[in-house]
Amino acid sequence: MNIDILHQPDSAIAKLDLAPGESITAEAGAMVAMSGSMQVDTTLRQGGGGLMGGLKRMMTGESLFLSVFQASDRPAELFLAPKLMGDICVYPLQGNTLVVQSTGYLANTAGVNIDIGFPGLKTFFSGESLFWLSISGSGTVLLSSFGGIYDVDVDGEYIVDTGHIVAFEKTLDFSVTKAGAGWIGSILGGEGLVCRFRGRGKVYCQTHNPGAFGHLIGPRLPAR
Amino acid sequence: MHYEIRYKPAFSSLVLTLRPGERILAEAGAMASRSAALNQTTQLFGGLIPALLKHWFGGESLFVNQFVNPSQSPQDLVLTQSTLGDMQVLHLEGNAICLQPGAYIAHTSGVSVDLDWAGFSSWFSGEGLFKLKLSGKGLVFFGAYGGISTVAIRDEFVVDTGHLVAYEPSISMKIGLAGGLLGSMKSGEGFINRLSGRGTIYLQSRSVDGLARFLKPKLR
Repeated sequence: MNIDILHQPDSAIAKLDLAPGESITAEAGAMVAMSGSMQVDTTLRQGGGGLMGGLKRMMTGESLFLSVFQASDRPAELFLAPKLMGDICVYPLQGNTLVVQSTGYLANTAGVNIDIGFPGLKTFFSGESLFWLSISGSGTVLLSSFGGIYDVDVDGEYIVDTGHIVAFEKTLDFSVTKAGAGWIGSILGGEGLVCRFRGRGKVYCQTHNPGAFGHLIGPRLPAR
Repeated sequence: MHYEIRYKPAFSSLVLTLRPGERILAEAGAMASRSAALNQTTQLFGGLIPALLKHWFGGESLFVNQFVNPSQSPQDLVLTQSTLGDMQVLHLEGNAICLQPGAYIAHTSGVSVDLDWAGFSSWFSGEGLFKLKLSGKGLVFFGAYGGISTVAIRDEFVVDTGHLVAYEPSISMKIGLAGGLLGSMKSGEGFINRLSGRGTIYLQSRSVDGLARFLKPKLR
């Protein structure tokens, strides 16, 4: 499969060329255009944790509608794009695990498995419908960002504001913590909670925070 | 202090490297990511009363974060703004700059932040009762929604409210109506800034209120 990312960084769109029989899974609603011969299927992916776990996740909105695109007996083209202005990044997965913030997920090729929910990273976002995907296997993952995307090679310790995380490699150890020295200051300082990564691995960050942009525009709009 | 504004113009972000002992103050919430070795503390934006005034009447955050490098090696810091758009850096050499509400991002030590009276007309037009005035010696970083245009003005210059980002203190500002009460209402231009004096002004190519006005009728 050939993947080209066009119109980077502000209006990135992924152009994928699928060979006959090849397939790709994408966030529902990400399809912009495709060949007429493409076969499309929709699935609902939910987190594990048995029946109760599944129900709980449905209640909290931790489910992901996915579209599966498969080329029929001839090559097909597909254009995928996220909703916000921003960039797309191609991540080659080689048997490792990538933890992705739900809005940072765009698509994945066959051979890649998505699990919803990531222990320890669930409930610390108040009022934002963010959750985490644990993506493993071998293949390609497409990540999308609000704003530009930059990766940091962590070797030691590094801190990222939770609203700026797109994805991180699971080789990294992390803890959710306060941004500054004291709790009160951290909350008042507007940073709230941050992720403190430890060890070795890559963190993908987005230059802009969708939540902060929402808080800027939201109060200027009439109440629903 | 080494700095670079990357991802210009749409996603401008400030990538800084602080040498040992260096410090910078930044708007609350501006930190995207940083080395864990940097020390972060939150403080009121220029004392309690000025901070409260800035917050209530100047449209700025009540707090700023101070980042200090207490280690023996250079450390990284990435600062950003809520809006999409460009950023600008100014090297103050004893001169000053006035920032409109929401424009402030960060400043280095050596720069002092004061609150100047902007006037009731500024308040009515949604531009804040006070304005931020940064002066001294050091770096000032500010941002905008959209691109930033620099204009050198000589006498009178008119700017739509919501598009002015920063201006030199030698320039005086008067809020007025775009063309009489009725004309302003009809044309949709509403309030305007009537600037006079000699100096540099910074304009943003889009306005957040303009985006909100566009979105309002589309919500249901």
